[in-house]
Amino acid sequence: MAQNETAHAPADDVGGDTEEFDPIGTLTLIGIYFVILVLSWVYIYYIEFLGRDLVVVG
Amino acid sequence: MHIHAYEKIWLATSVLLILFLLGSVTYGAVGPGVAMVSDTEPTIDAGALDEDERFSEPRVEQVGENEYAAYVVARQFGFQPDPIVLPANSTVTFYITSADVIHGFEVAGTNANTMVVPGEVSEITVRVEEPQEYGLICNEYCGAGHHVMEGKVNVVSQAAFEERTSGGDGE
Repeated sequence: MAQNETAHAPADDVGGDTEEFDPIGTLTLIGIYFVILVLSWVYIYYIEFLGRDLVVVG
Repeated sequence: MHIHAYEKIWLATSVLLILFLLGSVTYGAVGPGVAMVSDTEPTIDAGALDEDERFSEPRVEQVGENEYAAYVVARQFGFQPDPIVLPANSTVTFYITSADVIHGFEVAGTNANTMVVPGEVSEITVRVEEPQEYGLICNEYCGAGHHVMEGKVNVVSQAAFEERTSGGDGE
């Protein structure tokens, strides 16, 4: 998808500094995925794993 | 090469995410001191455990101030000793070996979990806190009775532990 969009971009946007292509939806989606990943990791590692009894220390 | 501003953002956040994951594991190792099951123990003869100094008589013994060693033998279909009685607020190192096939040693609901391989000694050190009774299960299929292979780990108060050892262990 991204390749197609960049492939025809040079036709009207050769300089590339003016950001006409503005995939705010994709950015939001990635942002949401990112937050889910971070929260899951915090839960799995810091709460479930480190919070349990008998942490193996050696 | 032109890189879109948004792409730079998600490239940077992915790198940050990786650093955060690696950082967490590093923190776990340095802060709470999380370690792996040790593989430093030499191999032993699984067929001659009754002649082994540590495993001929599976037991819990004191090895230092507030430090205990638990020698555990897993066999079809149970653990010895059963129950494994430990004093509260101490550091316990489990040395676990198998007399027959591969078993698992999992103190249910905790992070103490290791494979038990015949000929190998699995060593894990844990810190035990309050008196509590834990279940102990085998989590590697080991034969027809695998589903009934279980034990108990009883963490009792220091006083109760001493009373037990001085009472029962009078040699």
